[in-house]
Amino acid sequence: MTSIVIWTVVVLAGLGLLLSLLLFFVAKKFKVEEDPRIDEIEKVMPGANCGGCGYAGCRAFADTAVKAPNLDKHYCPVGGNDVMKKVAGILGYELKEKAPEVAVVRCNGSCGNRARVNEYDGIASCKVKAALYSGDTACPYGCLGCGDCVEACAFGALSMDSETGLPVVDESKCTGCGACTKACPKGIIELRRKGPRGMRVFVSCVNKDKGGVARKACSAACIGCGKCAKVCAHEAITVENNVAYIDFTKCKLCKKCVAECPTGAIHAVNFPVLPKKEANNE
Amino acid sequence: MDRLLVSPSPHVHAKDSTSRIMGDVCIALLPAIVVSVLFYGWAELLVLAVGAVSCVAFEWAITKFLFKEEGRFCGASALVTGLLLAMNLPVTTPWWVVLIGSLFAIGVVKMSFGGLGQNVFNPAIAARVFLLISFPTYMTDWTVTPGFIHATDAVSGATLLGRYAEGGMQAVEGLDYLQTFFYNIGGSAGEISALALLAGFVYLLCRKVVKPWITLSIFATVALISFIFNLADPATYTGPLFNLLTGGLVLGACFMATDYVTSPMSNWGGVVYGVGIGFIVMMIRYFGAYPEGVSFAILIMNMAVPFLNKWFHQKKYGRK
Amino acid sequence: MSKITFPIGGVHPADSKFAANCPIEVLPLPQVVYVSMAQHLGAPAKPVVEVGAEVKAGQVIAEPGGFISAFVHSPVSGTVKSIGPRKDLAGNNMTHIEITVQGDEWAEGIDLSDTLVTEIPQDRAFILERIQKNGVVGLGGATFPTHVKLNPAPGSKAECLIINGAECEPFLTSDYRIMLESPRQIVIGAAIMRKVLGDCPCVIGIEDNKPEAIKTMQAANAELGYDGIQIRIMKKKYPQGGEKQLIAAVMGREVGSGALPISVGAVVQNVATALAVYDAVQKNKPLVTNTLTITGDCLPQSAMHNYLFRIGMPLSYIAEYAGGVPEKAAKLISGGPMMGKAIANLDACTVKGSSSILYLSEAATRRKPQQNCIRCGRCADACPMGLEPFLLNRLYKAGDVEALEQNAAQDCIECGCCLYSCPSYIPLLDNIRMAKGQVMGVIRNRNKK
Repeated sequence: MTSIVIWTVVVLAGLGLLLSLLLFFVAKKFKVEEDPRIDEIEKVMPGANCGGCGYAGCRAFADTAVKAPNLDKHYCPVGGNDVMKKVAGILGYELKEKAPEVAVVRCNGSCGNRARVNEYDGIASCKVKAALYSGDTACPYGCLGCGDCVEACAFGALSMDSETGLPVVDESKCTGCGACTKACPKGIIELRRKGPRGMRVFVSCVNKDKGGVARKACSAACIGCGKCAKVCAHEAITVENNVAYIDFTKCKLCKKCVAECPTGAIHAVNFPVLPKKEANNE
Repeated sequence: MDRLLVSPSPHVHAKDSTSRIMGDVCIALLPAIVVSVLFYGWAELLVLAVGAVSCVAFEWAITKFLFKEEGRFCGASALVTGLLLAMNLPVTTPWWVVLIGSLFAIGVVKMSFGGLGQNVFNPAIAARVFLLISFPTYMTDWTVTPGFIHATDAVSGATLLGRYAEGGMQAVEGLDYLQTFFYNIGGSAGEISALALLAGFVYLLCRKVVKPWITLSIFATVALISFIFNLADPATYTGPLFNLLTGGLVLGACFMATDYVTSPMSNWGGVVYGVGIGFIVMMIRYFGAYPEGVSFAILIMNMAVPFLNKWFHQKKYGRK
Repeated sequence: MSKITFPIGGVHPADSKFAANCPIEVLPLPQVVYVSMAQHLGAPAKPVVEVGAEVKAGQVIAEPGGFISAFVHSPVSGTVKSIGPRKDLAGNNMTHIEITVQGDEWAEGIDLSDTLVTEIPQDRAFILERIQKNGVVGLGGATFPTHVKLNPAPGSKAECLIINGAECEPFLTSDYRIMLESPRQIVIGAAIMRKVLGDCPCVIGIEDNKPEAIKTMQAANAELGYDGIQIRIMKKKYPQGGEKQLIAAVMGREVGSGALPISVGAVVQNVATALAVYDAVQKNKPLVTNTLTITGDCLPQSAMHNYLFRIGMPLSYIAEYAGGVPEKAAKLISGGPMMGKAIANLDACTVKGSSSILYLSEAATRRKPQQNCIRCGRCADACPMGLEPFLLNRLYKAGDVEALEQNAAQDCIECGCCLYSCPSYIPLLDNIRMAKGQVMGVIRNRNKK
């Protein structure tokens, strides 16, 4: 009996010793040399692996950043300038600061503004719906309402408003990674500069139909009348293909265009509430 | 017609539904159920009722209160599980043991994997094996309760396979195989009549609910292996007829191994799966500690299903 | 002779050919037609008329916009009122030419008589030119320009011309009616195409649920007595009319993944195309008319029709003429219930390939709530390409494009058998169609490099 116990202990101890030696040598021989700065950078990254930077994840970002000669092609929109300062510090590179951006939904075709003429009965996916037909309303450019953008958002910043049928951006959570802009088959969501205290002015429509057609499909559509472009003193507004666009790098937030727009397609958000007219939705 | 419906094609659907398929399986089980109640009486009806009702109730409760998605409740599927479980138990099983079996089948084997279609193991069989290990006394008590038809040669105490495991070939000599095919007293409800089970299986084949390949390959493997062993040593090993007609083989091959969720998708995968089950059954029957091995064989082959699905694909058009 | 069919998969939806006994009626002309520039597969045609121009029926109003494209002719005589965007049946903008109808005058050189021209031109180039100049496209569903298909690349040789008279889609009866009413024209059309393809043998395949059509076509074929044309009876199964399935049924050959039918020596054309070829070559008549079925499960028998329509007629006009959209209709479909397109905009206009307005009731067409997959494998059994839809669906959700390609998502013909047969109502094809697009994109990118 005792000899069995002794043998068992001996054999197991011997095996343990042998295998640990094996592990030790394998670890020595096959050790991968890695730039320690990759780990350092990864530690300061947000770690969401959202791909907003254009790389496969935070690790891939760090890996390529270390090898890059400068930070021109590396900017983490989620971490913003704070994180990038740290990254630049680790690598000893210079950082070009960027203004923070936020996702903006450029469609105001809520159920009230846009009459539904069809009912979709397929899988809940904007991609599938867009490949099939123009959507449930007479506007072939507007939001399809299946929420592909909501699904694409890694930060929970988007949600569908059940009343309007449109996605809503939670500005406190939106990091400007741009995943939603890629997910939207209609190209409605745009990354725009966040603006001072979040104030910005934008055209909430992308309908390229002629004025009459667009208006008939949606009461809040941009009809491409060009009044806003005329009133703008900063040449920030262009009208192309029957739809106006405000260049946020030129806009001075004077809001003249907002008052001028006959359909209310131009939205000004986060401005202090005026006594007469309330600041628009979102 | 205010708004036109729009969806991708196709715009029509076959009349089939999951509930209809499960309903067909229940209908197919009916002959065997009727036979079992005729032979074992009210006691058998109680076991069946407790199994069926409790499985449906557990399924409903779990989808409603744990998943909180009533859309996932499929009563017909739970009913099949309940009936199959009950048909695998001795008629003397106390109702609370059946209840525990149901809870294990639905709660642990089915729902913890995600519910309908997600389970790895066949719930009814896994629950039977669970009960066999947990309550061996109840699960091997083959006392026969009085039925509405009294078979003259009723024996109690052991199944044919049990007698063979205990006493070898002498214990089962002189068996009337034709009568065994019609009915065989001793064993669980699902072991009484091979004829009733096969009738149900033919119904399933006609309704195109199942394909015959898995079942046929199990039968063929069992027959072949027992034929070879019996030929080599007839004094020790039982022959093909004995092995095909006794125990839970017919029930297992027709109704349990063909369960959609836990069997391979492709025809050839199904054949391999069936051969595996047949082989393991025969090894357990000849050499194992338990007299019967259908349950274990199916459970073991359930584990191989993901691999079989990976290895066996059907022939694709225009490709080798 | 034994009945033939394709070997892999397939489903058997109910026939529902309610309009089978309704003779083809000619639709009267509306006041205005809108002719789409995208009536065919490939690049949209380019308008060659100006606003205000007077046009006659059969006159060219648009030229091909690329190699794979087709001529478009005016279906009516009248004045071009506008050229601009208009919504097609999916609601997307497409250039249309609006023509106000005045009288019904046809352009010069078109034989409008009923005389049967049985003499087949011997000059191959002449035939191809007539087919191209008269804007003939495949009318079996894909609307691929016919002259391109009948002119295989050098090095490939046609060994069999298959004329598709299967009409395997439920409800549709337009092909059936033309086989009954113009059998000789179809046989001549087939003989012409055979000539172009170097006198290869020709098989006209008809499903056994149309015994009348089989009889009529056989009689017409015997009467005309052309060499090398044979009529074969096929066992009813959907999607028999699919190009790849027809080739498998008739020739016993399988077209490789991503390859064209001509790679196995097959050319497939529809019976309606054969009729259009007859008109184009023998009568010099452009493709401006076609046959369309008005049918559905919520229509009384008296409201079923088969119409000879002109392209550019608004669907709403046809529906109105036929007695209006029935109250119970929930979904309107252009084409069959398996592969047709849901009509999102009834103001859209007919195109060359229009084959039906199908009214389906709520009960027949609305999708039921999706349940869990029970791994029954019915989708895989039904798939005529031998794919595993359940697997492709899962891989698409996981975003594994590489595995999708390995499992041949790109081979999907979008026939709808998987979704049709799924007892859990899982929208398999919705996802697989997207998966197919992804894989095709990857393959295209790779081929570019």
